Amino acid sequence: MDLHLLSQYLLSGLVIGVIYSLMALGITFIYSIMKMINWSMGEFYMIGSYVQYFLLASVLGWDRWYVALPLAMASVFLLGVVVQRFLLRPMYVGGVERRDEYATVMTIALMVLFRNLAIVLGGPNQYSPRDYAKPTMLLTLPLSGNRFVALVGALVLLALFYLLVTRTWVGRALRGAAQNRIGIQTAGIDVLRLDMLAFGVGVAMAAAAGALLAPDFLVYPENGAISTFKGFEIIVIGGLGSILGSVVGGVLLGVIEALGSVFISPAYKDLYGFLLLIALLVLRPNGLFGERERTV
Amino acid sequence: MSRRLTAIVLAFLTLAVLAPPALAQKPVKIGVLTPLSPPGDPAAGQLIVRGAKMAADEINAKGILGGRKIELVIEDDSGTPEKGAAGFRKLATQDGVVAVLGQFHSSVALAVQDLAEQFKVPIFATQASARAFTEKHLNYSFRTHVIDTDRVQLWNRWIKEKGFKKVALLAENTDYGVGLVEDTKKLFPSTAGGAELKTIVFDRAVVDLTPQLLEIKSWKPDVVINIGVGTPAYLIIKQAADVGLLPGTPMLVSYDMPARAEFWKNLGEKGNYVSFLVYYHPTMKLTPRGEAFRAKYREQFKEDPVYASLNGYAQVVLIADALEAVKSDTSEALVKSLLANKFQGWNATISFSRGEGPYWQQWTPPMLMMQYTKTDMPFTEAKIIYPAEFKTGELVVPR
Repeated sequence: MDLHLLSQYLLSGLVIGVIYSLMALGITFIYSIMKMINWSMGEFYMIGSYVQYFLLASVLGWDRWYVALPLAMASVFLLGVVVQRFLLRPMYVGGVERRDEYATVMTIALMVLFRNLAIVLGGPNQYSPRDYAKPTMLLTLPLSGNRFVALVGALVLLALFYLLVTRTWVGRALRGAAQNRIGIQTAGIDVLRLDMLAFGVGVAMAAAAGALLAPDFLVYPENGAISTFKGFEIIVIGGLGSILGSVVGGVLLGVIEALGSVFISPAYKDLYGFLLLIALLVLRPNGLFGERERTV
Repeated sequence: MSRRLTAIVLAFLTLAVLAPPALAQKPVKIGVLTPLSPPGDPAAGQLIVRGAKMAADEINAKGILGGRKIELVIEDDSGTPEKGAAGFRKLATQDGVVAVLGQFHSSVALAVQDLAEQFKVPIFATQASARAFTEKHLNYSFRTHVIDTDRVQLWNRWIKEKGFKKVALLAENTDYGVGLVEDTKKLFPSTAGGAELKTIVFDRAVVDLTPQLLEIKSWKPDVVINIGVGTPAYLIIKQAADVGLLPGTPMLVSYDMPARAEFWKNLGEKGNYVSFLVYYHPTMKLTPRGEAFRAKYREQFKEDPVYASLNGYAQVVLIADALEAVKSDTSEALVKSLLANKFQGWNATISFSRGEGPYWQQWTPPMLMMQYTKTDMPFTEAKIIYPAEFKTGELVVPR
């Protein structure tokens, strides 16, 4: 195996891993605050890609992808807020006894609804926005301009997210909610409002991934399925609720898949991540950076 | 007496007015089981349905079996065997269709053909080419499309004639993809002029094929064969261009996906110089029925028809003709008629025999290899690069 090629495989895995981690971060963020798994995360990714395509094809023109991206994120953020307000909030205020089941049923129903709505509104075919940028080189790796933009975009969003969570008042409140939902209510913080914000931000992260990857991975009703799948793998590898775990888990999964598919077989690409996941569940059940939950 | 007579006449009139039309107008139901949503290739399914509907409209203008209408019952198989099986069961048991056409994905066709045998309802492969479909020698399985083996033989002959020494094959892990890999491996030593073959099979659900394309690029092949269907076929082209494999290395797409209008919309300049297999070309001489369909299609959709529509149309007409020939609407009679008669297809006469190997209840259309040499080039202007007798241009490889 020549080193040049090996470095290309590693870089390719690294790039896709960073992009995967955006999706995982959204899932883990929502879980941390709301203590629920959003099974329709891939559909918010899909909606992000459709909004981006629609804005570029019909409103802004193909070159203004950087304007469309925040608009796509904002639209999905608003959709997330509406979904949380009317469909998920009853979990906490409506006296629902089995919250986990409620959240599972509701988000799976949303997944089916959004996927079918996409078929009804956009048809079942694939679409693709024009390239965001010209092909480039990342060290030894020839990279599409789109993938480079997605990589930079993902890194910027991850950094912004980190700043939001660690350096702002809202971020402190969100971290408080992640630690103890009842505790922060005693400090006078409206936790239901925080839920709304967390759900909106989480799904907007997924939408960003969908919008950034639209020219490379296409726009079609089921394009979010693979991202959800990877997102859940990453949060188990990295540790549910851990932001750092999402990033490290994403990169690890991307690299392992790239190397496994070249050195073993690409027909079992998904298997390599699962083997890592099973190994971690046996050796470190809380994931790489997950912490055992402590309750009083 | 006159009152009784009047009553009898009225009763007869009532029966004549109400009951017989209800019987006479009972439609002949034909199922169309085809991919209309992902993960299948929904564009193909829509084109098949388009052709089938035009055939039904044409037949219904005159009626069949003494004025009865054709009713199409359309089901989405999503390109997955489980949805295909559920759809076929519904068509056969609930809707009572006389036959089912529209099969596009080999994995689905191979799964539902056993049900066709069980329910004794003929199934037609419209664009599913797995050899096993007709090789099983089942009584209710028919195909009016190419067989993988023929496809492989065509590209092997082309490889030999072009003198390619290294051939890479990137295939999805479906019955179609794996079948083509197996056939190519089997026939390669004897028909490809001693070229070296590298095969990579990937999971159809995977969206990032960069590592595989980097591996192929480092192997420096003379040609790459793209065996993806729908989304994977697009992803291979896009990502091959991104890693710099295209356009310097020729790529052959294993079926006629590039003939569709959305090809350029999805790929832009990355689709340029791609070669592909087709079964229809606008310069082909068609049968009178095929010519009439082509003219009507152009008038209705303002574009040239593609093969999926032509074959969807031809199969509905074939079923109607076969039923008319035996004056029956049963599936059993349909099978007998299909084996005993000849029918006018879109480009030639269709007949079925029970030959050896995969040539069982099989009718094969022609196959051509074409290439785009300009971004946004209309399909009608693409050059035929193989076989030699139909050639209108040479393979162009930009350096």
